[in-house]
Amino acid sequence: MNEDKLKALLQQDMNLRDAIRQEEAERPQMPADLNARLMQRVAQEKKQKRTRMVWPWIAAACVAGIMVVFLTPPKQTIEEKEIVAKVEKKEEKKQESKPEAPLKVEPKVTPAAPAKRPQQQRKPVAPTTAPKQLIAQEIAPIEAGNKQVTVSDEPTAKSHELTASTKTKMLTERDIPITRPENYKYTPEEIALMKRQANEAYLKWVELELEIAKHSQEQTAQKD
Amino acid sequence: MTETDTNLIEGLRQQSPKAQQQMLDRYGRDVFAQVIRLVSVTENAEEVYQDVFIKVFKHINRYDAEKSSLKTWVSRIAYNEAISFLRKKSAPMVYFEDYGDRAEALSDTEVDETFGHANQETVQLIRAALKYLPPEERAVITMFYYEEMSLKDIAYVTESLPSTVASKLSRTRKKLCRIIKMLQS
Repeated sequence: MNEDKLKALLQQDMNLRDAIRQEEAERPQMPADLNARLMQRVAQEKKQKRTRMVWPWIAAACVAGIMVVFLTPPKQTIEEKEIVAKVEKKEEKKQESKPEAPLKVEPKVTPAAPAKRPQQQRKPVAPTTAPKQLIAQEIAPIEAGNKQVTVSDEPTAKSHELTASTKTKMLTERDIPITRPENYKYTPEEIALMKRQANEAYLKWVELELEIAKHSQEQTAQKD
Repeated sequence: MTETDTNLIEGLRQQSPKAQQQMLDRYGRDVFAQVIRLVSVTENAEEVYQDVFIKVFKHINRYDAEKSSLKTWVSRIAYNEAISFLRKKSAPMVYFEDYGDRAEALSDTEVDETFGHANQETVQLIRAALKYLPPEERAVITMFYYEEMSLKDIAYVTESLPSTVASKLSRTRKKLCRIIKMLQS
């Protein structure tokens, strides 16, 4: 059926047109406030769209913050607080002590306290060397220095040079032997000791269990 | 396209509330009438009506003035929304289906006589018969006879071809005639 024929039908089908018109006239009218409600809904959807645009950014920022807090390596914090002590050895003090009384080291005085200072002033040794050897190396010259002091009552030229060279130096955690990475590992002797202690503890635990079992058996026998 | 239409579309593209209100004032009643024709319950029609205009405001950038007028484009959205609402949410309804092709067997003269001669009794019968038509067919016949839309525009709204719309109109006419005969008997 072509369009011209249909147009003719449109004019021709009077009954059908009237029927449809009457049907349309009887249909419920559009509520007066429908457009106002629709505009409200449009405004609400606009607001929702705005929040949708914002919340992923807030969430991403929170996640980034958490990641920064938890995943930041602890090295940074150590580096920030790397300076743990400040050692200052002034020349004046030594110079003052020179004329009044020459240095005398009593044999009872432990060498650890005075020996630590020159030890700490040394530069950190390469981490490949064993810690015990390092300590031995560090203590040796200190002891030698002490001996020098005890032998000669008067201060020598060498001791003057030593005091002059001792300037203010900052100590870091890396200079303290316990924080060196090689010290984190156990030595074979320490491992053997720990194993021995574990075995002993296990044996003691077995003995204790046996005693408990015996005791409970005795108690049940007494009850019977 | 008129200058006012161009301004209106430009305003809608900028999400201007004034343009949106103007759009509702201009096409709101027609859209509501179209929707309630398909979705007979008023509450449902209101819901579909709101969905139609929200879609129109959101997708105004997709409107192509070369393909159709603004009114036809809005009608297409309304038709699709109403049909998809009926398919998804509406309770299934039973409509007249011409399984035996008895309507096709009716002669053109018989059909022309039924719809042609002005008669109040026949008008009432046609009104009763219209209720037995499926919503899609009722929409097409109303677009043609009441809104006097061209075949091309009806085809655009229903997403089909003008020739398909023409054959659908012819079939629906005969179907109505068959329903009237059934009601008379």
